Amino acid sequence: MEWEKELGAAVTEGEEIRSEELARAALASGVPAREVLEKGAVAGIYEAGRLWQEGDYFLPDVILATEAFNVVLGLVEPLLAGVDIPVKGKVVLGSVEGDAHDLGKSIVAALLRSSLYDVVDLGVDVAAGRFVEAARAHRPDVIGLGAYMTTTMRNMEGVIRALEEAGLRAKVKVIAGGAAVTADFAEKIGADGYGADAVDAVELVDGLLGVR
Amino acid sequence: MGVTAKLLKGTAYARGLRVGQLDGYERLIAGIYGRPDRVPIVLQPYTYAMSMHGLSAKRFFSEPGPFINASRNMAVYFGADSWSPVFDFYNIELDALGQKLIWRQNSEPDVDTRSPLVASEDDFRRLKPPAPGKSGRMPYVLESYRRYMDLVGVPPMGYACSPFTMAVLIRGYVNFLRDMRRNPAFAHRLLEFLSMEVVVPWIDKIVEVTNTAIVVMSDAWASAPNMTTPAVREFCLPYVEKVIRATNSAMRTVMDSGSWGEKEVADPREILDVKMDMLTPGNSLKAMRPFFLLVWNEDYEVVGIPRIREYAEEKKVCLMLNVRPNLIEEGPVSRIVETVVKLIREGAGKGRYAMLINLVPVGTPVEHAHAAVAAMKQFGAYPVAAGLDAREFKAPPFAPFDEWMPTEGLPVD
Repeated sequence: MEWEKELGAAVTEGEEIRSEELARAALASGVPAREVLEKGAVAGIYEAGRLWQEGDYFLPDVILATEAFNVVLGLVEPLLAGVDIPVKGKVVLGSVEGDAHDLGKSIVAALLRSSLYDVVDLGVDVAAGRFVEAARAHRPDVIGLGAYMTTTMRNMEGVIRALEEAGLRAKVKVIAGGAAVTADFAEKIGADGYGADAVDAVELVDGLLGVR
Repeated sequence: MGVTAKLLKGTAYARGLRVGQLDGYERLIAGIYGRPDRVPIVLQPYTYAMSMHGLSAKRFFSEPGPFINASRNMAVYFGADSWSPVFDFYNIELDALGQKLIWRQNSEPDVDTRSPLVASEDDFRRLKPPAPGKSGRMPYVLESYRRYMDLVGVPPMGYACSPFTMAVLIRGYVNFLRDMRRNPAFAHRLLEFLSMEVVVPWIDKIVEVTNTAIVVMSDAWASAPNMTTPAVREFCLPYVEKVIRATNSAMRTVMDSGSWGEKEVADPREILDVKMDMLTPGNSLKAMRPFFLLVWNEDYEVVGIPRIREYAEEKKVCLMLNVRPNLIEEGPVSRIVETVVKLIREGAGKGRYAMLINLVPVGTPVEHAHAAVAAMKQFGAYPVAAGLDAREFKAPPFAPFDEWMPTEGLPVD
């Protein structure tokens, strides 16, 4: 099997150690970094995404495939300075202030990455001001707000107001999600979209940006 | 009346021996085994009780007095049949093991998933089991149970974290996914330790203090889509069974509950079957056990209540459905009543049914919670009447909480 197929399969199967070995070997043999990424890792993560869409993959499979993809990305990224990596758009994600739940947001990040979005994960307990700073610094297409408790979901509205006050709201789509959030609530606070779960996130972002 | 007499009365009522009026506890027992006078209402006061009493999370989740009194006040104020002293039950054993938690002012503490206690196999080798009842906030839980029994006169339902969910929390989700796939021997060693050195001694201690008839291990992480059914069957169920075999008795039922995911699979029975298996492994005398099949609103709203009701009837198990917490917060009352009527019409059947009010969001107007309980009482009488939708809801009068507290409430300070 050629290295592309082997690396793609390792990523699809979520074998991050094997993925790293294969990527290193390909680079050592003179394959350009961009090819390692596109023909190996991206192809592999696409395949994982396809299997997910078709119902053959479950969330754990996608998470592990994304981990493997990220290992290869981390390896080749420093070698790609000045090279365009094909992405559909940029998304800034974070759990809002007071909310320390990481997993739901991380799953959203993983699924978006597996669909070739450039994701900036701000982490958890992110104050409104940090979302504003990130909007300025990264110029994302979408900001995703996560809240997993009824006590913290109200802070989502504060982020939207802060973006408005900073004059950035019109430049970015804002989506809301997490266990505590409902479509009604998202609409009420002025979000552009709502995802019931991580699975919704990619389709929601694709739809908002008009890409498939 | 002693707890045994209440159990007998509730069970007899369920079987058709309808002598006298049922109190809330007896109604719940009757609802688990058959047909009570009306649908039982179970309340989990939780952080709503905390906020209504102006308590900080630190006090509510670590001081038995404020926690139990505030929870009791909510149950009495809203008129629930039964209430559980619900604390952050996923965290107690983890806290006792030394897992770092994040504390906030107005919500429950959470595991700091950025710092899993068992980040490596070396960490696991260093892990020491907690001293049951002494480590972390275990004394808070046990003292809360004692106070609950003093107030209510019956033992509480005991809560523990299941070994599987504990393993995910203590390792981190992605780490544990890797363990299951690449290092299953380690995953099993960890699960064995958590089962036999942590959960079993903790349940034994709860039982020693309360002599409770029911202990529930909660298992959020054994839910779809976060875990696959084969993974749950391989890594979760065997340890549920080990714990149950080590802790149950003829008069005590230990079960695993709280997972979800029926809407995530093509055939919801796949998840319902797993849930039934979580209740029953290692539990002999199955027909006598107070099992309840808990299905959450996120799932039944998609799958449909009739399919779930049909499954519960086939398995002869009590079905418990919650009311969507955000609905109770958002209202209006007409929508809440409409939903309660639907839950009764489609779910109540001829018995073996209970309704749960859980996770009421902080800030929810009290008239919404009153309306939910009143609608359950008004429309939930057995036999369920035909044409419930056409009946007019009569909103009951109630005192504002700050007027009710000085005369009826227990102090929390």
